Amino acid sequence: MTMARVRWLIGTIVVVAVTGVAWYLRDPPWVAAVTSGMRDWEVDASGTRYRWTAGHASFFVPSAASEMTLPIRAVFPSTDGGPVVVRFAVDNRSVATVALNNTAEWSRAVVPLGRETGRRHYRRVDVRVSRVVGFYNLGVQVGEPTLR
Amino acid sequence: MTCAPNATESLDSFSDRLRVATRILKHFGLIATLVALAAYSFIQLASLAGAPIRSDGYSYYVYLPSWFLYHDTTLQSVADDCCGGTFPAFTSIVRWPETGRWVDPHPIGVAILMTPFFTAAHVLTRWSNLPPDGFSLYYQSGAGLAGLSMFVAGLLFLRALLSRYFSDGVVLATLTTIALGTNAFHYGTYDSTFSHAFSFCLIAALLDVTDRWWKRPAWLTTLWLSVVAALIFLTRHPNVLFLSVVPLWNPAGLWNRRGSLSVIAAVTVACVTPQLILYKQATHRWWVSVYGQLGHFDFRSPHIWGVLFGVQKGLFFWSPVLLFAAAGAFVDHPLARRLRGAALLAFTLDTYLIASWSDWQFGGSFGHRGFTDGLPLAAVFLAVFFDWVARRRRAVWPMAASMTALVALSCAQMVQYWIGVLPIANTTWPQYRDLFLRFR
Repeated sequence: MTMARVRWLIGTIVVVAVTGVAWYLRDPPWVAAVTSGMRDWEVDASGTRYRWTAGHASFFVPSAASEMTLPIRAVFPSTDGGPVVVRFAVDNRSVATVALNNTAEWSRAVVPLGRETGRRHYRRVDVRVSRVVGFYNLGVQVGEPTLR
Repeated sequence: MTCAPNATESLDSFSDRLRVATRILKHFGLIATLVALAAYSFIQLASLAGAPIRSDGYSYYVYLPSWFLYHDTTLQSVADDCCGGTFPAFTSIVRWPETGRWVDPHPIGVAILMTPFFTAAHVLTRWSNLPPDGFSLYYQSGAGLAGLSMFVAGLLFLRALLSRYFSDGVVLATLTTIALGTNAFHYGTYDSTFSHAFSFCLIAALLDVTDRWWKRPAWLTTLWLSVVAALIFLTRHPNVLFLSVVPLWNPAGLWNRRGSLSVIAAVTVACVTPQLILYKQATHRWWVSVYGQLGHFDFRSPHIWGVLFGVQKGLFFWSPVLLFAAAGAFVDHPLARRLRGAALLAFTLDTYLIASWSDWQFGGSFGHRGFTDGLPLAAVFLAVFFDWVARRRRAVWPMAASMTALVALSCAQMVQYWIGVLPIANTTWPQYRDLFLRFR
């Protein structure tokens, strides 16, 4: 095989590999397990599983879901004495804002996810909290979401 | 130490050995990358460390999301998005009392060097619909791999310099020893977003380009030297001490190079100006020491013994191979003559500064990370020492055996640190003895 043919073959393999990886990464199946800005799962005294968010946290839900109910608890109040405000966005689109007045109790935030758009299998949910607490940058506690 | 034969070896077998060293050295970049990537993957997959952008790594990196995602040079937008308008204490980013603006104790050099990796991570993030906030999966990997790449690049700059003065065997032995017998590998993999791998690379580049510039001051070499000098300052300000390498390489020739030196000074000042503007914007001063709010210097009672030989973080205690680099400083060699003055100056002042700082252990670290940046300079003297040994046939194998044992010990202790057996600071002698080579 001539050098020119070897180069052509290597070039083709590289182009095919890059295209394949790009196609795969457009909607990877493992994204369902990807979170950002969230600590590990814990269990409170009542047996509720939860995890702390940071000031900004993200996770993914199946695209087919149209509504998400999320247990949520602030635990620590705002420094100004007002409610802790939590804003939800789906794929960069703002969808809900929840004000947590009673910081000690679990609330159930109902978040409309809207109709499925695009071809991805998962949509990204961003959670933004109006204040954080302490060294670990704690936002709010969130439980396991229920999807409909 | 594959460079020299013992007394009984034939010339043929010695040549074979050199050929092996030459072949390995030729592919050293690829081999180092694969080994570092394997270690990095192991650390991440086994969750031995947190996400790469953490601790000091956070404050070195935070400029990138602020500049490129929020188009904000004040850092406030990142604080708003990540942390409810403030920065957590671990970041050491403080509000300047007089202006109320955020000031980062760590300068912008690491962020500049991470930019290509950040850009690739951002494109991939958009493509995969991950959170484009600067801290999600690909950004973390990009930042971690940036430090790893700098570590490997630093070794390649060292290879370029040393290959001009030493045999392939000596160069290979030096690169392997400095990478694995010190904490350089740790800061290229486990804590790769900290500044140390970046400074390691820059100081190796400085040595290489200074050698080339003194041989022939081509305009491209002059420009490269200026940029490297600026990046050294921008990555860690006290490392300007290492710039003494340039004038002390050949003090007698300085006057003849005054034109080029003026260009270097002008370009370097131009390159560091953005950092000064940031300080001015945040504090209304051109120069500030943010670290003044995080600790203090006590120049009257420096912990010299502690930083050099102590069990807690002593440089030579945790990286004993560097004792041979110190021995190399006494060997007569053309490269040692060029660098001895600058090395002595930088090492003495650096040691005094580090030992005088209130947290002279520099927080949690494997070995003393205050000295990691200057390891390329130590590598030169290590090569000088190896070269000296290679000329004494009877000394080669005992030295090779000792060096292998010390490198193996350093690697074992590094793994102990990774898996949490060794404490991150304040190690005591009874603790060290009790944990010696224990892996659980």
